[in-house]
Amino acid sequence: MHFLFVDRILALTPGGVTQGIKHVTPDDYYLCLDEQNRRYFVPSLVGETVGQLAAWNVMMSHDFTKRPVAGIAERATLHRPVYVGETLQLEATLDALDDSAVQYHGTARVGDEVVFELTGALGPLLPMDDFIDVDVVRAQFDELNLNQPEALSDELLLRAPFGESSVDKLHHVNARVQFDRILEHEPGVCITAEKCITRAAPYFPDHFPKKPVLPMTILLECVMNLGRYFVDQLVFDKAYRVQCVQRIKMSDFVTPGAVLSATLKLKSQHDGELVLSCRVSNFGKRVCVLELVMVEVKEIA
Amino acid sequence: MMNVENVYPKVQEIIADVLVIDAVDVSLKSRLIADLGAESIDFLDLVFQLEKEFSVKIPRGQLEKNARGTLTEEEFESGGVLTAEGMVALKNYLNEVPEEHFTPNLKVNEIPMLFTVETFCKLIIAAKAAQPAEAVTA
Repeated sequence: MHFLFVDRILALTPGGVTQGIKHVTPDDYYLCLDEQNRRYFVPSLVGETVGQLAAWNVMMSHDFTKRPVAGIAERATLHRPVYVGETLQLEATLDALDDSAVQYHGTARVGDEVVFELTGALGPLLPMDDFIDVDVVRAQFDELNLNQPEALSDELLLRAPFGESSVDKLHHVNARVQFDRILEHEPGVCITAEKCITRAAPYFPDHFPKKPVLPMTILLECVMNLGRYFVDQLVFDKAYRVQCVQRIKMSDFVTPGAVLSATLKLKSQHDGELVLSCRVSNFGKRVCVLELVMVEVKEIA
Repeated sequence: MMNVENVYPKVQEIIADVLVIDAVDVSLKSRLIADLGAESIDFLDLVFQLEKEFSVKIPRGQLEKNARGTLTEEEFESGGVLTAEGMVALKNYLNEVPEEHFTPNLKVNEIPMLFTVETFCKLIIAAKAAQPAEAVTA
């Protein structure tokens, strides 16, 4: 199962701005269902797609000798789900690039609407050959980089998501990306969950052939879903949604065989906003820290 | 006039924030890796946060470059290990680090093990001083 999400690169200035698109279709593997049974692209993977767009620029700028890996992000803001039938217009801007790291930001739009924003992303660069054969990456890039601006036609970009009538019931909808089990739960205070990482997971063949490592965005999606569960268990008269994930820092690779333990704690609660802090460790060693910001959406009838 | 004393409180706060620890656990003499548990990604994060807070540009690897001083790379290290000349230059630059932390045959990639909170205060002061006058006053 591929873990490459940019469908086409439309414009690329080495070391600068990259634009591309991704269609969200019934053929996408990473889909989930909203409350109205509408299928949408796993939210963290919108960020993954923006990150991959930036990575293509970085790799091309370094003649495919280096690749960025997940490191730090100041904030990833999720404005709304992206439904099957919609096309993401992606833009990533490299703010600084040298031999050891890249700093960038990016957005994803549907039509004129910004659906996702990433700020303050910072990733170390590592030797490409440690992760994937250089010729394979070059071939992937050549196939993507078609420079066909007609792909940005209004007809394509502004079409509506597919309605229920067009949903093929035979198409898969994968379960949300989740932790395996909850280890401890003190409602309103903290929750700890565990996930064992198996080589059989569908993202490893692409991420990466020579060195399989858990994509940070898969981990973020697990944490967001844990946060939703944690907040759902609280006795609030309001519903909350994930507004953004902030102060994200991935400090170590997670490889098959790892046993991740994530602890979410309620850090603050005021003015319709909940901030949950999260620490993820692998056999006790920190691998990721972040904060999840959830905001009130509506009153429960 | 910027000095270690007046830069330190903000650096202390940023380091605590970056390492997700309490500021009271951070002192001027704390070593980032050995005492505060910093990982390599934390250095990238820390420099990024310091750049934002103090409106300075700190090129990656600047600490190592500063430590090298006027020595060439070949004079500073050989096969990844500091030369005798390199060790003198490093001790001179990291004069806030106690002598016993400089182990014999120190490798270049082990230099970050020596960095203390004060090292980063000095880095900020040097970066600020290196800025063109118009950038400082802008």
